[in-house]
Amino acid sequence: MKQLDAFVIETDNLSKSFEEVHALRAVNLRVPRNSIFGFLGPNGAGKTTLMKLLLGLARPTSGSGTIFGLDIVTESVAIRERIGYLAQQPRFIEQLTARENLVFTAKFFFSGPPAKIRARCDEMLELVGLSDKADRPIKGFSGGEKQRLGIALAQVNYPDLLILDEPASALDPLGRQAVLDVMARLRKHTTVFYSTHILDDVQRVSDTVAILNRGQLVAGGPIEQILRGTEGVVYSVGVKGRSDGLGTRLARLPWITQAMVAQRNGTSVWQVSVSDEKTAERELLRQVLADPSLTVVEFNRKRYDLEEVFMNIVRGDGHDG
Amino acid sequence: MTANAELHKARDGQGLRGFSNLFGKESRAWWGTHRWWVNGLLWTGVLCGLTAIMLFLPNEEVFAASAAEVALAGGETAYTLWIGLNIFFEFGVSLLAIGTVVLSQDLIIGERHSGVAEWLLSKPVRRHAYIWAKVTANALPVLLLLVGLPSIVTYGIASLRLGMPFPVRPFLSGVGIMALNTWFYLSLTLMLGTLFNSRGPILGVALASILGGGLLGGFIEPLFWTTPWMLPKVAWLTATGQTISAEMRLSALVATTVWSAAFILVALMQFEKTEY
Repeated sequence: MKQLDAFVIETDNLSKSFEEVHALRAVNLRVPRNSIFGFLGPNGAGKTTLMKLLLGLARPTSGSGTIFGLDIVTESVAIRERIGYLAQQPRFIEQLTARENLVFTAKFFFSGPPAKIRARCDEMLELVGLSDKADRPIKGFSGGEKQRLGIALAQVNYPDLLILDEPASALDPLGRQAVLDVMARLRKHTTVFYSTHILDDVQRVSDTVAILNRGQLVAGGPIEQILRGTEGVVYSVGVKGRSDGLGTRLARLPWITQAMVAQRNGTSVWQVSVSDEKTAERELLRQVLADPSLTVVEFNRKRYDLEEVFMNIVRGDGHDG
Repeated sequence: MTANAELHKARDGQGLRGFSNLFGKESRAWWGTHRWWVNGLLWTGVLCGLTAIMLFLPNEEVFAASAAEVALAGGETAYTLWIGLNIFFEFGVSLLAIGTVVLSQDLIIGERHSGVAEWLLSKPVRRHAYIWAKVTANALPVLLLLVGLPSIVTYGIASLRLGMPFPVRPFLSGVGIMALNTWFYLSLTLMLGTLFNSRGPILGVALASILGGGLLGGFIEPLFWTTPWMLPKVAWLTATGQTISAEMRLSALVATTVWSAAFILVALMQFEKTEY
């Protein structure tokens, strides 16, 4: 059965053009079930367009896509039955209170019994910490409260997939943290697919990431894999003393692919790229210490942060283009 | 925690998924706010007030009428009723059309601009259901409050002036024509809301039809047979039992009905294609 597939969202060369502008170009995306999938990209990369295609709010120019194995064009209503969506700027019926908005939204999915619908809405208000403001009109809500209410509205049907478009981008640090906390709480219930350009948020809550740039998917995978960077495993070795011969010696080792040196405050810092991680773990430090004239002052595996990886990928993609 | 299995699934058929909830929302915008009584009071006050002035206060037009005209009407009271009901039907049909356009011009583009339409359509909602909810939930209060309520009061005023119940059948026929004209402008405005992105063209096209249609029909007579532009006069003549070409009346009524249906059809098709 398709519902048991490992991927909730699958797209096949999904493309969207607006006259001469190619907003999305042949995107092949796989979103694993029960993941928090961070969808990254600079402004204008095509993130919102992709979400709208998935929701049936726009139609692809070419290519196809499925959610839960259902076609995003022909079976859109059945898909929306099982998803929750939060737009970049969430909208509500402004004249209604938070609770009334929740009941209204719930009625797209359920017809009763009223007491149970109300209980579900109360539970959602509790989830996003708005129980004390349940009966206040939305007009007086702050940006963060509106965003949290938007998540409650998106979650009211217990969706199998939650699609959030920039859920925290317009919020102050406290509001952002509150939204990320809610997302983390939802992790065990649903798959969360969200777009953002705030890399710090992604690193905090996501387990899988895709990077979209200028309408193309340029990288994707588990976040640990992405954080390894595009250069493979790299060790950073800082030594004091004359290290001229070190490069020649390292270059002879078959599991070392590249060794580059830079001077920093009287220390030679070597960036050593390796092809065999296990051997490197065991042997690299020994190889360096084999020269008694050298003193090792630092030795660690290079860790990328997401921002560094993102900038490398996006800039590299830009130069290629 | 309430599991989904404990809740009953929404009951709308797949073809109109989301209709009942959207209908409820649109209806609340009328009946759940002050909008219904403000409009009921406004249109009844304006139309019935003007009609009452013509019926009960000394009227220049009646004084100036020739004996033949008065005799044709069947006496001074009958002639006064012609003049009074002319205000209600001929002027009223056009005034209500303007009111309908003003009240409904924002129904679709307002929600498209604000992002509410996008939000609603991200739920399990058929786009046809969205349009049908707009049409039905707004037609009901517009017809009841703008046409029905003033008509009931005007019937009472006319009967009072006549000293006996005003003939029901012609009066109801006139009200029916008034309702059809109002329905035409509601469907036209909703259709324009799916075709254009700003209020300017919606108001421009609809008001040009109301205010300029009669003038244009004067130059190109067949237009009177194929548009609602003759309906204000047809409504008055019918309500007061005056002679009117049956072919022209039928043609204008059928044409208006067909146009209205076509507008709804175009609105459904256009909204189905709209991207967000």
